[in-house]
Amino acid sequence: MAKIKLFGYCDRMSVKAGDTLRFMLSADGTDTAQFQLVRLIHGDQHPDGPGFMEVEVDAPLNRQWPVRKQYAQIGSYLEVPDPDGRLAPEGDFTVHAFIWPATPKSGRQVIAGRWSVTDVAGWALGIDTNGFLEFWMGDGTRVDAVRSEMPLLAQSWYFVAASFHAASGRVTLYQESVLNRYNSLLSKIVPLEYRSHVTESVRVRPGRPTAPFLVAGATEHNARRGRFVSQLYNGKVDRFGVQGRCLSRAELDAIRDGGEPPADGLIARWDTTAGYTDRGIGNTVVDTGPHGLHAEGVNRPVRAQTGWNWTGREDCFRLAPAQYGGVEFHDDAIEDCCWEPVCDYTIPDALKSGCYAVRIRAGEPGREAEDHIPFFVRAARPSAPIALLMPTASYLAYANEHLAFDAPIAQAIVSHTPVLSESDVEMYRNREFGLSTYDHHADGAGVCYTSYRRPIVNMRPKYRLAAMGFPWQFPADLSIVAWLEHLGYDYEILTDEDLHRDGVAALAPYRMVINGTHAEYYSEPMLDATEDYLAQGGRLLYLSGNGYYWVIGFPEDKPWLMEVRKLDSGSRAWQARPGEHYLQTTGEKSGLWRHRGRAPQKLVGTGFASEGMDESQPFRRMPDSHHKAVSWIFEGVEGDIIGDFGLALGGAAGVEIDRYDLSLGTPPHTRILASSEGHSDNYPKVSEEILYNFPGMGGTQDFQIRADMTYFTTQSHGAVFSASSIAWASALPCKGFDNNVSRVMKNVVDAFLKPGPLPGSEFIAEEKHWR
Amino acid sequence: MSWRNPQLRRDPAKGPVHPHLPVGRRRWWPRLRAHGGNTWRRMRYPLTRRHVLWTRGEYNPRNLAAEVRILDKRPLWWMAGLAFLAIAPLLTDDGTILSAASIFAIYAAINLVWMLVIGTAGITSLATLAIVGAGAYGGAYLSITYDWPWWSMLPVGGAIGLVFGVIVALPAIRLEGFYYALLTLGLAELCRVYVVQSRVFGSATGGMYGAATHIPDDLSDTGQLRFAYYAAFALMLCALALYRWVDGQRLGRLLRAAPEKNEAFAEAVGIDYRRARIQVFIISSVALGVIGGFYASHFKGASPSLFSMDSLLLMLAMIVIGGIGKAEGAVVGTLIVVAIDKVFIDLGALRLILIGAVMLVSVLTTRAGLFGIQAQFRAWREKKKSERRARRQEKGGEVVPEEATEIADKQAIYHRRFDKQMRDFLKTLVTDEVVEEHRLKPLGQHSEALSRLTNYFRRGPMADKYAVFTIVPMREYRVVALSGQRGVPPRLVNDRTYHSLGDAYHAVFLLRINDLLES
Repeated sequence: MAKIKLFGYCDRMSVKAGDTLRFMLSADGTDTAQFQLVRLIHGDQHPDGPGFMEVEVDAPLNRQWPVRKQYAQIGSYLEVPDPDGRLAPEGDFTVHAFIWPATPKSGRQVIAGRWSVTDVAGWALGIDTNGFLEFWMGDGTRVDAVRSEMPLLAQSWYFVAASFHAASGRVTLYQESVLNRYNSLLSKIVPLEYRSHVTESVRVRPGRPTAPFLVAGATEHNARRGRFVSQLYNGKVDRFGVQGRCLSRAELDAIRDGGEPPADGLIARWDTTAGYTDRGIGNTVVDTGPHGLHAEGVNRPVRAQTGWNWTGREDCFRLAPAQYGGVEFHDDAIEDCCWEPVCDYTIPDALKSGCYAVRIRAGEPGREAEDHIPFFVRAARPSAPIALLMPTASYLAYANEHLAFDAPIAQAIVSHTPVLSESDVEMYRNREFGLSTYDHHADGAGVCYTSYRRPIVNMRPKYRLAAMGFPWQFPADLSIVAWLEHLGYDYEILTDEDLHRDGVAALAPYRMVINGTHAEYYSEPMLDATEDYLAQGGRLLYLSGNGYYWVIGFPEDKPWLMEVRKLDSGSRAWQARPGEHYLQTTGEKSGLWRHRGRAPQKLVGTGFASEGMDESQPFRRMPDSHHKAVSWIFEGVEGDIIGDFGLALGGAAGVEIDRYDLSLGTPPHTRILASSEGHSDNYPKVSEEILYNFPGMGGTQDFQIRADMTYFTTQSHGAVFSASSIAWASALPCKGFDNNVSRVMKNVVDAFLKPGPLPGSEFIAEEKHWR
Repeated sequence: MSWRNPQLRRDPAKGPVHPHLPVGRRRWWPRLRAHGGNTWRRMRYPLTRRHVLWTRGEYNPRNLAAEVRILDKRPLWWMAGLAFLAIAPLLTDDGTILSAASIFAIYAAINLVWMLVIGTAGITSLATLAIVGAGAYGGAYLSITYDWPWWSMLPVGGAIGLVFGVIVALPAIRLEGFYYALLTLGLAELCRVYVVQSRVFGSATGGMYGAATHIPDDLSDTGQLRFAYYAAFALMLCALALYRWVDGQRLGRLLRAAPEKNEAFAEAVGIDYRRARIQVFIISSVALGVIGGFYASHFKGASPSLFSMDSLLLMLAMIVIGGIGKAEGAVVGTLIVVAIDKVFIDLGALRLILIGAVMLVSVLTTRAGLFGIQAQFRAWREKKKSERRARRQEKGGEVVPEEATEIADKQAIYHRRFDKQMRDFLKTLVTDEVVEEHRLKPLGQHSEALSRLTNYFRRGPMADKYAVFTIVPMREYRVVALSGQRGVPPRLVNDRTYHSLGDAYHAVFLLRINDLLES
């Protein structure tokens, strides 16, 4: 019997009573699977903790469901709906485009055309397997092609065209460089002949192709999969068009020099810079020609990229839209698997807010395959005093990261040998599961879009991150859930999606908010909401390390899709190219919040200091913690050492850690309650802190390598307690939840639960010591 | 141990182990330049999708010049060779040479057609001359008996060829190589014995003579010889066209994909090799029959020597000397053997020994005849190059100048040097204490020596980098090596299982130490 494999996802991340969720699943080796709704309590199987905990919940979907193997389309491209067949001219025509091929030698790639791989019919302007520009056509049995003389060079802007003279069968190829001082990899000093003009008579006539007009792909058909798109293109395309006659060399030269195509015979002219707004760019490429044949992006082609005519002076599409016509395609991009749903589920009123999952099993009992599809149920009418804010935007950023497999420096960063699981290998094998914002596309570009409409193997209970060998984000955040459950607190769940959409209104009903272990990715509305909540007297437990770090954006109509651009500083897996620093979705500058004047210290008192994944350390109390204004936090805690245990590398301070810094906006009345010490040299100083690099920036030599546990108050009895360490929450479940980390948390939560003045807030007089 | 920079441990007085060879070559043959801004009007052969010359533009990596390389120069050689064959008879009056030239052209035509079976289809069929002979005898018989004109001999030969084609094609799809060769040889012998004994086919006169001919009587002797040659030359061109048409198209590809002993594989990938073989047998047999008709018209009759073993062996020699599976091999091989056989006729039997010697040398020293020599020479040069390089080079050591010319990213050359020195240094750090330190504490702050080792290991490239694989969380782990290639899963390194993560980490460390010490 074939090995059973189950991978699923659901169409929404956050739901409340009355909402309907749909569950998608692809199954290998079985045609039925048992679904069971469960509430997730704890996700880490570490022997020092309570182990994995879930509670089965009654639901109509708890039964066997028929399942099957499903396929997903990867690769971004543009599709032009053309019901009247205007883009299939019967006579002469010319197709032209500005292109910046990223990997001309990565197999056959279509730039634009109506090509059917299966039927060998239609025509396309593209790149052949040896990296040459080619115009090919097929009549259903035979193919003919005209190829340029010189190969295309990677990361260089060209203007290319092919014209077809129907009566003589003459095809003329046009290939000219439009390289300037800024726009390409190489400079004009390199003695390269980019030009090529070939004319040749072909023996095959394309007829009127039936395949759809695509940019960056061709149509293919498979009996099992049905229609899909292949021969995908890697690289950028700028303004392109189709003319209903053969354009002369002089006319093409005029377009190459920035002119508009002549009106005579114009069929379509896609102006990739049309429709830009100050608030971002959508997914439609506008045809300014007579028929308005607008192109729709599939799998999110990246826009707001520098175009062929970028002059380097303006650094944002908002300043010079005409220089930002680049639309970038990747053959491994994916936005939505678009699988058929197996079943759906409408959240009943009675379902308590919490972290839920549908557990799917198939196979013999004891050796069955299993998957959990998690989702979050928030309260339709908030009633609990505590909100646990799940950092789902950051889950998205790391979704299906390939660090352990693909990043040669990953082992050096985490100072670990990766610990892989079967689901990691499965994820690595299936390109359909997509990439994270920590990966590069196969063509070398950083991944700036990530989506939850695909199976995310690392957002599962029990999962341990391959690169580091311990739970990361969602499964680690479940330790906070388990703690709240164990201590019997009344809490409700919120997600970043709710925070982004509803703003401060999402937080306002709650007396206090607990953030997850790694709230690293924040959109402006999310950050504003948190800030407003605190300014209105909200209370926040910041349990992350490296929080409020990256600037992100969500398209308004697609909450499942998130965009980030990694700029010239920060701990970044990749770096955006010059001029491509602004988010397509919102028009904002991406990169670190710190570099936009909103360092995390301004919000929670601490910000990113270092990361290391070899060992965690305990906190040691600082003298300020003995002030009566804060000493209540340590009530019942013996000694100075806090958290010399933990499920994440044996300490409460570690993995990623934050520190206090007045120069970055830590509120001046913040107290450092405790700090960690003794971090190894595998905890280096973060790159945004480094101006000149010099030796000795590791944990054993630099005092700034530490986690600061801080506390400060805001107006109207608000306050922030910052644990400033990812490992903090993983220390909570140790020793049956009875430990000093848990005790400190309990003291803070209990105090935050009481409305009115916070404990210790009366100790504000100046000190007059006799001792 | 006193501290020394690992990169400065070499002895400055000591040069490289082997003196560096000077590299760099001047190019003596000019290469075509790309058209640049000018329009290139690219030509094709009429009625095909083929270009006149197969070229590829490329940037010369040494100066980035846009050059056009002719990937297949054979059309140029053919053009020159055929032009020579076209004008050569005008340069001589020698009757021996002119009649030998006609024989060459006819034999070349036969060999070209035969090559479709023996080369393209890869089947050892020895019935070739039997078919030619049958065509010739059939044509001659009808011409002599019923006074048919010379041109009728061609379709008659073709028709006889068709019958023979069907007869030899059927066993070809069932019999294995050696048995098939025997069968066809038997067929040829049968034909010979038949015509030698048959009164109708001139057992008394030793052949049939007096058939009609295409060579006009009213020309001078030399003129007749020249006319005969050009007619034979035209026949050869037709055979060449047929060879290109079959070998260069779909049928040829199918046949080359299904040579003898590979039938099962071909069938598995969906090739109907039986059909393809029947097709090629019928096509080639008809063509051989036509050539037989031409033969009868050329020699005004036919003789039993056509079926004889020595003719067959002579033709086999032509094909073997030229190289099996190549049109140029068939033609040039024929030229050589015919030249020795007919031009040096004064040498008598010695010339046959000469042909045998040429064939022997060809078989003993070349892998694919005369026209395989270039590839063979290149392979030999590659082999010598690797041998010499291996002798001059240390494994994983510094790049030698001739190797540097082959590395596009020049930084990689420095990396090799740096890495070599680094590994030499790191080897000195491996001690029992360091290994024990790692065993006790695989993660966390390490001593200087251990952290230098682990830092080096962790930064290595992804291909074959070790990782731990979880069989049962917290209980069972194994060591794998990553592929470094997206989509390709890791492979298990050995069959050992570790029961704690610490043990697994240490196992990986020991493997890495082992790799380091072995490098």
